[in-house]
Amino acid sequence: MAELVGVYAASHGPMIVRNWKMLAPAEQESLTSAFSELGRRIKAARPDALIVISPDHWVNFFIDNLPAICVGVGEAHDGPPEPWFTEFPHRKMAGHPPLAEHVVSTALERDFEPSVSYKLALDHGFCIPLWKAGLDPLPAIVPVIFNDLEPPFPSVKRCYAWGDMLAEAVASYPDKLRVGILATGGLSHSIGEPDMGRIDEEFDRDCIRHFENGDAPALFDFLNERLPGAGNGASEVRNWVAAHGAARGRGFDLIRYDPIPNVYVGCGFASWTLG
Amino acid sequence: MRDYWLSKLFFDLQSPPLADEYRADRNAVLARYPLKPAVHAAVEADDVAALSRLVNPYLLRFYFLMAGMPEADFLRRIRATASTPTGVSRG
Repeated sequence: MAELVGVYAASHGPMIVRNWKMLAPAEQESLTSAFSELGRRIKAARPDALIVISPDHWVNFFIDNLPAICVGVGEAHDGPPEPWFTEFPHRKMAGHPPLAEHVVSTALERDFEPSVSYKLALDHGFCIPLWKAGLDPLPAIVPVIFNDLEPPFPSVKRCYAWGDMLAEAVASYPDKLRVGILATGGLSHSIGEPDMGRIDEEFDRDCIRHFENGDAPALFDFLNERLPGAGNGASEVRNWVAAHGAARGRGFDLIRYDPIPNVYVGCGFASWTLG
Repeated sequence: MRDYWLSKLFFDLQSPPLADEYRADRNAVLARYPLKPAVHAAVEADDVAALSRLVNPYLLRFYFLMAGMPEADFLRRIRATASTPTGVSRG
């Protein structure tokens, strides 16, 4: 049987790469330290496969057909297409079709209806955390795309249930496999909106407290009330909620949080201690 | 509500060859998209405020970055939309 060996979350703002040389030394130190600790924790857990939950930043999907949730079941995924992210060392990343298909079948059994893709390109949302955390060689990647970018969005309660389902899928996978879950994105940020650049530090710190408290209904209430005011990028906290669900709402451990103005993002990093 | 063809234009411009063509000859690319006249005019005028009401904010931000608008200029214009509730003019 497979084992869930770790659950993690990390911000992924593109300016972490695009604007790196323009960041203040303290900003660089914060991000380097956070990604390093995240990588240390993931590597210590020795995952064979990593289920990565991230949005799609208009790379694979358009408003022609925009899935709420899509699972990548392909044997391999393309590297990031962003022209400013050529430093990423992998143009192809191995998938794990058997685990991905098991996630899909488990989802359907649990009354979820995910979209499925056999060929995805994984943009900076996936690849910045994988790269900056120093995961090389990479474990096999099972991408799970949550629509965090274009309304209507899946509810936070549904995202939590998705995470719970992911943990169940891992536990019921019949082969021996060490599996981690990494959620990327958030915390507060605003992109292309009138308040672009604003970081809602109060929201971020309240959000972190809710994850720490482990009271899922209170977290849902908080996010339903405050998420709409924390910038469009804060919608990616849905991915953190899924990770929280995978950890059954317990064991949140903040690695680091800093508002990073030159990245435009309240940058958060966490793992969950699995009981 | 999104403007489909404006969104499609911005989405397609993520292709580097098309972006190169657009920067070299904007009108030649625009001619392939059935934009409404008011939307076409807003694109030609780099009207951040008008376009911001018609496309996803991430695509909007990408578009002006791709088109070469300086970041400080884009930030100034998008922040100014907080106090300009009007959409594309219908004139």
